[in-house]
Order: sequence, then structure tokens, then C-alpha cells
Amino acid sequence: MTGSLHIGLAALGSAIGVGLVGMKAAEATGRNPGAAGEIRTQAIIFAALAEGVVFIAIFLGKMGA
Amino acid sequence: MQMQRILVALFLFLAIPLAQAEKPSSDENKSESHEAGHSASTHGDDDEHAGHAEGLSANAPVIFKLGPLQITNSMFVTMIVALGIIIIAQMATSNIQLIPSGLQNFVELLVESLYGFFESIVGTDMVKQTFWFFGTTFIFILFANWFGLIPGIGTIGYTYQDYGLFHNHHLDAPLMRGVNADVNMTFAMSGMFMVLWLYWSLKALGAGGFIGHIFNVKGHGSGFFGVFLVLVFIFVGFVEIVSISVRPVALTFRLYGNVFAGENILETVMKLGGPWFGWLAVLPFYLLELLVGLVQALVFSLLAAVFTALMCEHHGDEHGEEHAH
Repeated sequence: MTGSLHIGLAALGSAIGVGLVGMKAAEATGRNPGAAGEIRTQAIIFAALAEGVVFIAIFLGKMGA
Repeated sequence: MQMQRILVALFLFLAIPLAQAEKPSSDENKSESHEAGHSASTHGDDDEHAGHAEGLSANAPVIFKLGPLQITNSMFVTMIVALGIIIIAQMATSNIQLIPSGLQNFVELLVESLYGFFESIVGTDMVKQTFWFFGTTFIFILFANWFGLIPGIGTIGYTYQDYGLFHNHHLDAPLMRGVNADVNMTFAMSGMFMVLWLYWSLKALGAGGFIGHIFNVKGHGSGFFGVFLVLVFIFVGFVEIVSISVRPVALTFRLYGNVFAGENILETVMKLGGPWFGWLAVLPFYLLELLVGLVQALVFSLLAAVFTALMCEHHGDEHGEEHAH
């Protein structure tokens, strides 16, 4: 078995992060459906920021190897 | 306004070949050494699949040369997509009616909803000078991503070895390739954004205001605690500079990573389905990639807009306050 532990760990962390963002965004939309548009915008921004960690991990790993 | 947009599209279109027209010798060396490393690793871990399970190559292969200029397959697709967008925009605006219908209606819907969306992020003042960039990047990335999903994009092309007419090997140089699966393209876009971001921020805040915004040293009172806070905010300023310089890298690799991974997922799942049911296995992933293409286009332009709004926020703040009450 081969692979990169650090990428796996980064993916784990950012998956949890994106999951939390999605959970809270859905909750917030349920509480205040009128603000759905603004919540969606913010959720996409924060999901993208959490997701970016994996790509940084992947490419830093490739450069290091 | 329209002239400006056409100029930007032309600029994108012309600047990309220039960015890649570096010394061909070093480029070839790099690709060779990369391929050598790649094949060594695949032979190392799975010998049984070494014949065909290669996946998409990390760098876009050159398909033909125009003098000193090397045209890679992703540049070829870039030009097709850019030309398509320019032609559709020209067709939609050639005969403008007061009550739009057909193509003009569709294009107006797209542009106006994008304008409203970015206006809600960067504010009414900034959107007038920045919309041309955000709107163009959104539309370009969206259609480039979706164009890359058309069957035949990665499967028609050249092989360097002769496998015969019917084979299941990965092509060495497909004629076309998803635009954003090439890191040069995404880096060009995010690099251009950072230059524009610097220009917009300096224009909105001035050089002193720009530094002051990052290092935020004023208005912490006097006395021991005030001095302490100033030191803390100077440290925070350095952290902010690091965060700003990571932005173009993160923007580049987010878009590239998503599209490149998407292409690889499609290829892997297609092979998992076997020779007869590959098309069926890959169908749900095509739907996923349609969604990813849209979301990544949105994320790139949205993050660009948010970074701009964060820096030029003394306009945005007042409007935000008004809306909030």
C-alpha cells in the first residue's frame, strides 16, 4: 500500500470543515429562509476556503517529494 | 463597456500563448523528466495496469508549433472557448431591441444577474469598475469547464507509439483538453487578478491607506495598553501579508485541482465500468462534474470579489450598515 499520509489527514480535516459549513448553512436557511441567498454565498466562500487546504497539502507534498 | 469586455477577452486570448512561449528546450526536458518519474512510479506500484492505467498527464502536451510558439492542447481549447463566447456576445448584441427576446434575452439575464450578485458583494461603487473582470472570469471558467466535459475532448488525438487502430491505451497527446486542467491557465487568471486587486486597492485607499489597512495601527488609545495593541496589530499585519500572498496560490490550485481531479475521476470510473458499461458507470459523475464546473466558476469569481471587497471595505461597510438596519 502506498500513498501520502499528510494528504489523507488534510482531506479528513477539510472534509470535516466543509461538512460543518454545510450543516450550519442548512440550519441557518431553515431558521431564516429569507436570507437563503446571502447564506449560500457565505457558505460557498467558507467551504472553498476549507477545501483549499487539501490542494495546498497535495501540491506542497508533490514539491517536497 | 462592451468594447472593454472584448478587449479583455482578446487580452486573455493573446496573453496565454505568450505566457507559455518560454524556452522550448527547458520545457521538453521538464516534461521528459516528469514522464520518466511518472512511469517509474506506476511501474513500481502496479505492474498489471502498467500498460494503460496512466491517467491525465500533469502537463498539457504540445500539439503543433507556430514558429517559436508552442500550441498545447489546452491553449487550443482556450481559443475555441474564447472565440465561442465572443461570437455569441456579438450575435446577442448586434441587433439590440428594447424588449429583448431569444439570445439577447438570455445573455442579458446572465449578465444582469451576475451584476446584481457582485454588486451585493463589492458594493455599488466598486462593482462599476470591477464587474468586467469578475463577470468575464465567471463566464469563461464556466464555459471552459463545461466544454471540457463534451465527449471526445480527451479521447481524440495522437499517440507517439503505434498501437494499431483499435486500442485502449491512454493517448499521449489528445487534441483537446479541459482548459482549467492546465495549471498555466489558472495561474494566469489568478496572477492577473492579484495585479488588478493591487491596482483597485491602491486606487480606493491610496498608498498610505493601503499600508494602514494592513497594519491598522491607529486609534488604539495611549498608555501602556495602547502601545501593546499597536505591537499586536503590527504582528497581525505581517500575518495578513502572508495570507494575502497565499491567495493567488490557493486560487490557482483550487481551480486546477478540482478540474484535474474531475478529469481523472471520469477516466478512472470509465475504466472501472469495463468495456461495455463504462458509459453507464460514468453518467452520475458527469452530472457531478457539471455541478463542480459551475461551483468552481462561482468560487473563483466570488473569492476574487470577496478579496476585493475586504480591501476596499470602507465603501462596502457604509452600505452594509445601511442594509443591516
